[in-house]
Amino acid sequence: MPSLFVIRGNDQGTRFELEEETLRVGRDSSNAIQLHDTEVSRHHAELRRSDQQFQLCDLNSSNGTFVNGKRVRQHVLESGDQVQLGGTLMLFTGPSEETDEDLARAVDIAPPQKADDESRIIRTLTQAEGSRIFEFGADVPQNPWLARARSNLQVMYRTALAVSHTLDIDQLLQRILELIFEWVEADRGCIMLMDPATNTLQPKVRRTREGVRAEERITISKTILDYVIQKNEGVLTSDARQDDRWNPAASIVQAGIREAICVPLQARYDVVGAIYIDTSTSPQEVIRQGGAAKFTEDHLKLMIAIAHQAALAVEDTRYYSAMVQAERLAAVGQTVATLSHHIKNILQGIRGGSYLIELGLTEHDETVVGKGWKIVEKNQNKISALVMDMLTFSKEREPDLATANVNQTVADVIELIQVHAAEVNVELHCEPAAVMPDLVFDPEGLHRAVLNVVSNAIDAAAEVDPPGRVAVRTEYAAQPGHVRIVVQDTGPGITPEQMQKLFSPFVSTKKGRGTGLGLPVSQKILNEHGGRIHVQSEPGRGSRFTLELPAVLPSTSAKTAAH
Amino acid sequence: MLDGQRSVLIVDPSDETREVLQTALERRGLRIFAAGAAHDGLELARSEQPDLIVVDLEAEDSAQEVVSAPFAEQSRTAQTPLVLLGSLRRGWQPPSGGEFVSKPYHYGPLIRRIEELLDTNSSSDESRPCRRCS
Repeated sequence: MPSLFVIRGNDQGTRFELEEETLRVGRDSSNAIQLHDTEVSRHHAELRRSDQQFQLCDLNSSNGTFVNGKRVRQHVLESGDQVQLGGTLMLFTGPSEETDEDLARAVDIAPPQKADDESRIIRTLTQAEGSRIFEFGADVPQNPWLARARSNLQVMYRTALAVSHTLDIDQLLQRILELIFEWVEADRGCIMLMDPATNTLQPKVRRTREGVRAEERITISKTILDYVIQKNEGVLTSDARQDDRWNPAASIVQAGIREAICVPLQARYDVVGAIYIDTSTSPQEVIRQGGAAKFTEDHLKLMIAIAHQAALAVEDTRYYSAMVQAERLAAVGQTVATLSHHIKNILQGIRGGSYLIELGLTEHDETVVGKGWKIVEKNQNKISALVMDMLTFSKEREPDLATANVNQTVADVIELIQVHAAEVNVELHCEPAAVMPDLVFDPEGLHRAVLNVVSNAIDAAAEVDPPGRVAVRTEYAAQPGHVRIVVQDTGPGITPEQMQKLFSPFVSTKKGRGTGLGLPVSQKILNEHGGRIHVQSEPGRGSRFTLELPAVLPSTSAKTAAH
Repeated sequence: MLDGQRSVLIVDPSDETREVLQTALERRGLRIFAAGAAHDGLELARSEQPDLIVVDLEAEDSAQEVVSAPFAEQSRTAQTPLVLLGSLRRGWQPPSGGEFVSKPYHYGPLIRRIEELLDTNSSSDESRPCRRCS
């Protein structure tokens, strides 16, 4: 939709959509485009549409109609033209050239060898140079408003760059203040942030212009600060006007003028702080310049815009770090809780075993000593497994490769855990692959990975009543060359929520009986082999864990080693 | 109960703890009922009317007070001393109506305490012989 967008004047921010064939522009309410501007005539100009073109015609207005700074009687507008009527400046956007074409069909990316593309590169521009878009070229008309607008845009562009650059708030504020000093003739400046704990403003960065005494303290009026924070408005102050001695010949000339701008750091939700800059004009300068102000309303507007950008960045950064911190603390807390619970249970077991040994020794009953010893031994294994899992998990380690047979490794695991399965009345079946060549892998690591998965499966199968079964089988595929160890249980299955955290360390659903390290360790071992663990589960029916690793034959591994 | 042998119910998910307590208490002439899950334990408590109940509050996925509540209720109704094994946590009060023992505990003192509670309860029982006679 073609439009006129007011970028300066009382109607700033208004977009007039140009729907009709003829639109009159003027101060009077009868106009399709009414401008609240006393410098605009009642019936100032008219926009006439023909085909896709808009012609702007002046209706003998008192103050004239200007396009891009030039007075016109009639003018065909183009997108991007700036139309000025009185004190109102508008940006024209023309009709878009809409098409119904299928873009995928209309756009081809030609392969390099295609002969009919004879384009050559005649000019290149680096990304960094793109920012110079706002710099003046010799061919650009030197209109002061345009110059200011360009400069403002450039400041905003650089602010946008600065705030998107860093996650360190202090560094960010430093950069913002530097930018402000490059652009405005300020003597001193500082950025204060609201301390969320005390709800008071704390200075974060300060800066003084070269030549200004840096040790001089910046004194900011509390009244102004309170006004800025509470009203959420920027203020421009000068002691010149308020001074009732103001008179070119009087004492202001002796005292000089101090001007200041203070703007709120308004973020999405809160005012997170304030930016303050000031400048002093010496008596000599006051005489030389005739008392003209250094800070203008334009400065104030731009400061508000910069402050808003900075505030959004401060808020984002704070939110982000708070989130990271919270997650980290939660993770540490979870880790410590899971580990201490597990260790506490092991300790309880060792105490129980020791107590029975002591009891048996006192009463000369060897069976009791035997019972106690079994418990102590079991808990010793538990703590050593915990330490091994923690080491495996924490260390960047290389698998300890050797030539071995996966069927044998799995058989060792079954043998080791058979007793436990029988204790909890879980049927444990193993079906090794008929053909399984010796392969190169880390037998101890794989043993650990399979053991973790199988013992989980037994625990799961034992959870249902009556206890179910666990089936373990191995598969070898010469093509594409991999080994699979499939562990299937008839347990309660894994809920989608549990599935999300299945491989997260120190997250256990076994309540104290698990360290939450088993599966992450198994996964790490498989990853070290270039393999993976695949999980399928159906709540209420059971789960299937598939450990897959590449089959490396001893001969190929020797060749690889020789290279 | 009619044979005068006193009994203790142990509710604990750990096979090891059950085995240790059972072995130690049986040698002191006590009859032991044991359960791994809280609901099985409650059933035993109602059907067997033991002279004392030991419950590990970390037996279930539920919070400690949820596990302890029905046992405390049972202990009040049947006048059975209750020993609760659990973890002291910030902002958590051990449930009333039972003796709380913080984990990890030592078995020696725990078993002595169980015996003391049994003795106290049986001596007070003598003043109320009806309950026993029934």
